[in-house]
Amino acid sequence: MSGIAANAPARPRRRLIASRLVPYLLFQVLIVVATILGLRLLQPIDPDDFALNGFSLREDGVARAVTVPHFTSSRYSLADPPLYTGSFTFRAGDTAPGWSVFLPRFSNAVEVAINGVVVLDSRRDANANRPDRNTPQITSIPSSLLRDGSNEITVRLYVWGPLKGFLDTVYVGPDAALRPAFETRTLLFVTLPVAFSAWQSILAVILAIMWLMRRREPVYGVLAAAMVLGVIQAFIPPPVPPAPVSRLASVLLASAPTESALIVAFAVLFFGWRWPRYGALLFVPGLIVFVVGLIAGPPLPRVLFVTLGIPTVGLCLFLMACVTAAAVVRRQDAASFTIGCAVTIVLTCWIHDMLSVFEIVTNERTFVSRLSYSAMLVAIGAGLTWRFARALNQVDSFAGQLVTRVREAEERLKASFAREEERARAAALANERTRLMRDLHDGLGGQLVSIVALSERGHESASITDAARAALKDLRLVIDSMDDIGGDLMLALGSWRERAAAQLRPHDIALDWRVATPQGLPLHPELRPWHVIQIVRILDEAVTNAVKHAQARHITVTIETIDDGQGAYGVISVADDGRGFVGETASQTARGLRNMRSRAARCGSAFELSSDSQGTRVRLQLPQVFPDSDAAAD
Amino acid sequence: MSEQGETGEAITILLVEDDAPTCWRLQDALVKAGYEVRSAGSLGEARQALIGGAPRVLLTDLRLPDGHGVELIRETRQRCPDTEIMVISALGDEESVISAITVGATGYLLKDAFPTDIATTVRDLVAGHSPISASIARFIVRRTQGAAQTSAEPLPGPALNTARLTPREIDILWGIAKGFSYAEIASHLGLSKQTVPGHIKNIYRKLEVHTRGEAVFEAVQQGLIKL
Repeated sequence: MSGIAANAPARPRRRLIASRLVPYLLFQVLIVVATILGLRLLQPIDPDDFALNGFSLREDGVARAVTVPHFTSSRYSLADPPLYTGSFTFRAGDTAPGWSVFLPRFSNAVEVAINGVVVLDSRRDANANRPDRNTPQITSIPSSLLRDGSNEITVRLYVWGPLKGFLDTVYVGPDAALRPAFETRTLLFVTLPVAFSAWQSILAVILAIMWLMRRREPVYGVLAAAMVLGVIQAFIPPPVPPAPVSRLASVLLASAPTESALIVAFAVLFFGWRWPRYGALLFVPGLIVFVVGLIAGPPLPRVLFVTLGIPTVGLCLFLMACVTAAAVVRRQDAASFTIGCAVTIVLTCWIHDMLSVFEIVTNERTFVSRLSYSAMLVAIGAGLTWRFARALNQVDSFAGQLVTRVREAEERLKASFAREEERARAAALANERTRLMRDLHDGLGGQLVSIVALSERGHESASITDAARAALKDLRLVIDSMDDIGGDLMLALGSWRERAAAQLRPHDIALDWRVATPQGLPLHPELRPWHVIQIVRILDEAVTNAVKHAQARHITVTIETIDDGQGAYGVISVADDGRGFVGETASQTARGLRNMRSRAARCGSAFELSSDSQGTRVRLQLPQVFPDSDAAAD
Repeated sequence: MSEQGETGEAITILLVEDDAPTCWRLQDALVKAGYEVRSAGSLGEARQALIGGAPRVLLTDLRLPDGHGVELIRETRQRCPDTEIMVISALGDEESVISAITVGATGYLLKDAFPTDIATTVRDLVAGHSPISASIARFIVRRTQGAAQTSAEPLPGPALNTARLTPREIDILWGIAKGFSYAEIASHLGLSKQTVPGHIKNIYRKLEVHTRGEAVFEAVQQGLIKL
């Protein structure tokens, strides 16, 4: 069972991966085909009518006939360069004046002479000597140099390794016929890279700012660094070998592998993976080229670049292809798909260039990796900026939504709060009403019934008066206790003292009021009216007992706060100097006592009564905190 | 035995109470104590009686068949400034008593008070003592606290301006509210016992909104009106 359960999710997952990967890979194959076709179509058309193919090559003291395009062996010395000698025919009469010589592709530098006079030396144009650019050269031949009939053209090909020297077909003819082909090549291989590089530099600035403002998203920083490297590489031309700053050129060789490693890092971060620690290895080739460029002489960095740097670029492109393929499978979004296609194009171009370098595929040694890579970077940068702008829009709309939601929630909360408050108020009111009813029922109701009964039986008015007074007293007590006393029981006792004194005055009983501690009783914020009623009724009962049964002359009420270190609590004592409960009927005493006890229990107080012939003493010990619910009520 | 004022004449009391048995009861107690009592059962009768001459003491119920006792108190206070006024109340609830105090009444008398207490209260009143009950004192001091805490929200109950009360007067009210006797209050506050009733009289005066002009003055004092 468990085996099946474990395998069950794996199989659909594998199927899902296959169902996503296969169409993607098929599409990439289509892209490869399209790229190859595109490269073919992109190949500028040269004016074949004016091509010079047959040359005599003098190399290392040996002369032989060759046809261009022609590769010569690699070398590291500029002395005694290969010398191509050819001839062309010029008819002074039948053609337009203004002839030119056009070299679509050569590496690394050429010196062209017509009839022994040098008309072009590409070594003076640093950009023209870059093997990764396919810079064409054209120069007009001064008409005084041209002889009617056969003319001699010599091309010295300066080569510095490790790449082989290359000389494409040489065209000599009317300038008007050659110029368009030159312009096309210039546009494609000079102007376009510059435009891309400019674009890249702008994006580098934008991405760097983004990264500076959002440090926790290193993806922008990585891409910005890659672009900065690319821009530096593009705009600082590597000087020809004898130049004094060749060390800089050597160092700059490190840019391509480093840049490609950065792009891999970018892709990994962009698609939401963690950059693995061993990923730093990818930067090692770039670093090696850099260090070697710093310390070693000219040929070694170049050799290292070709043997280490270029494969690193290829490896990075391959990794990129894998990363994007994985991203496509996982995310199935436009970004991963687009970048995947771009990587496929660049990879195809790189393979194309490699085949061209190793002369496996014969073409005119047009290197397109750099161009396609720049285009890809620009596309990525533009995509990122677009994504950023879209995120900003989302943030805007999210903020708007948030404001609306917060407002809605606030209103709901307000409504529910109002409802809750209303409900709580209603509940409190109902509670208070219940208590009030119970209190009135306990006191006033019973007393009024008793008045009715007494008057019906024609009793003497004294007992009716007593019952009515008791009823009034109780009513005042209930009303009084409803007042907000802010948790200060002393305020309730103050009123009670007045009522008790008034009650005792006709009986000639003195009420001694002793407040033992200055503040009287501790404050009880939790004190509720019904607590007050219970306490005052206990005190009333004690006073009434003293009046009715004990024949007391003095009643002493003592109020004190006792603090034994575990929190203060109040104690109220009522003591009389009567004769105690002697001669009382047991049932009356018992009922009164039970009443007082239960009332004390309801408000969490301890009740003690002691009685002897010296008098009766009631001690009510208040709780530190009054109970919230009337637990002992029922 | 007959109660007499400084001039030797009998002290006159106007008793305004619509419930006849209550009226008889109070009248009996007061007549027995030697006062000259005229009684009225309604606002109209009371006004008639006032035309006949200002009584030394006016005892009035608040709920009268043809109007409210507060009107009578206000009129009497204006026309007869020397008359001592006291409210007769069944329950002594702050709600009605305080509104009477603000128009010039001094304390209240419970309708079921014992006859001796009735006589004592009126005698004290005539002697210049102003009785104040614990519950009224409590209401006033709670109001001074409330005014300090929430000045924006109007407090429940009758309007009462406690702004003019001094801290000492508020301390005295606290003492009364907590059930202390004048002697105890005096000793706590370091006063002589005899000065306490005077303070209480001042409290009554300050709670009273005498005239329109004074009301405006107080409003300005409290910043309710800006001049």
